[in-house]
Amino acid sequence: MSENALALWKDWRLHVIVLGIVVITESIGIFKIPLGPGTILLLPMLYAVVIGLALYFTPLINDKQSINAEPLVFLSVSILIAKFGVQAGPALPQIIEAGPALLLQEFGNLGTIFLALPLAVFLGMKRESIGMTHSIGREANLALITDKYGLSSPEGRGVMAMYIFGTVFGSIFIGMISGFLATVTPLHPISFAMATGVGSGSMAAASLGPLIAAFPEMSETLTAFSGVSNLISSVTGLYMSIFVGLPLTVKMYEVLSKNKEKKAMKGSVEYVKKH
Amino acid sequence: MLKSIKEWIAVFMIIGVIMLIGNWIGYDVLPWTALPGIAILIGISLAGLIIHRLLPFQLPSIAYIGIIGLILTIPGMPGSAQIATYTAEVNLLAIATPILAYAGVSIGRSWFDFVQLGWKTIVVGMLVLFGTFLGSAVIAEIILRFQGII
Repeated sequence: MSENALALWKDWRLHVIVLGIVVITESIGIFKIPLGPGTILLLPMLYAVVIGLALYFTPLINDKQSINAEPLVFLSVSILIAKFGVQAGPALPQIIEAGPALLLQEFGNLGTIFLALPLAVFLGMKRESIGMTHSIGREANLALITDKYGLSSPEGRGVMAMYIFGTVFGSIFIGMISGFLATVTPLHPISFAMATGVGSGSMAAASLGPLIAAFPEMSETLTAFSGVSNLISSVTGLYMSIFVGLPLTVKMYEVLSKNKEKKAMKGSVEYVKKH
Repeated sequence: MLKSIKEWIAVFMIIGVIMLIGNWIGYDVLPWTALPGIAILIGISLAGLIIHRLLPFQLPSIAYIGIIGLILTIPGMPGSAQIATYTAEVNLLAIATPILAYAGVSIGRSWFDFVQLGWKTIVVGMLVLFGTFLGSAVIAEIILRFQGII
């Protein structure tokens, strides 16, 4: 991506538009929507992603801006990661103390397999569900599935669908649920901060933002834990998928789909008997 | 390599200015107060990107960036307190807003693919995100409670 970075800084139209979006969204500020016992926090970053998306359909943004924006997301995320880093240093003793939780919560990323895979199979998805639910389906996972099954295989189509879904809707969705879950569940904000390391920079920002807005007095600690969790995910995430996530998904898919077939068989046998 | 570095610096300067303005409007930190902080963050990012290019390991560049930031601010490192103070002036949310503005513009191209996804994909996709996020939080909670940290 840095090879074609040549024209990036020259795309003034794009930078001015982003500056405009920032000025407007930061002026609007934070909105809190009470929902039952919890709160959904709407942050400037959330409006920013929606406005940016909407502008794509206006003459203001051409394909060129949209293409250039992608490496710019990466470069601006690197500043966020640097911020994570400098918050983590001072909190190092705390982080070491919480080391076991930080390392083991990585296994929590497998939660998707237990939650989403059964539903996918129930809804009638076949091997697409393996690609879709084995992980959050970002670039590294796209590469892994493509490498193993090929992009035109059912698994490949599944991971591609999840990738597209996550690209468009991921940060919006996780930004809405993060603040809500933190205010509605009895879980500690630090636990949620550790959970923000899901393997995507923009999703990490979108999920940490509402936590900080909801618990401003803990913002430094939350950022530090989120940063380390992101760091661990960025290093271990792919290996986690290769050695644990994907094999587990395949195994569970086989068990689930066999059960389903059995039930279907049983149903049809009874149907035959009755008639 | 040198060409890349120049481009990175130019891009970082633009992004830095946008972040300073957002930090000013949204969080009332004057741009020159936050300027040293953003300059440090850009320096760390740049160092991470360069090291990533130079070293042969298969680690993502953000891993280097995070580690450099962490090492620089470990208590006792020379200048660590200053770095922490300066960078504290750059609000995390002010960094995040331009990221997601660029992200919004870039995902426009995926919109037509997105609307072609069936409702099943949307429902399963939401559960994937939900499960990944909540799963980690639950495990973290259990262990932190077990250790008596929270």
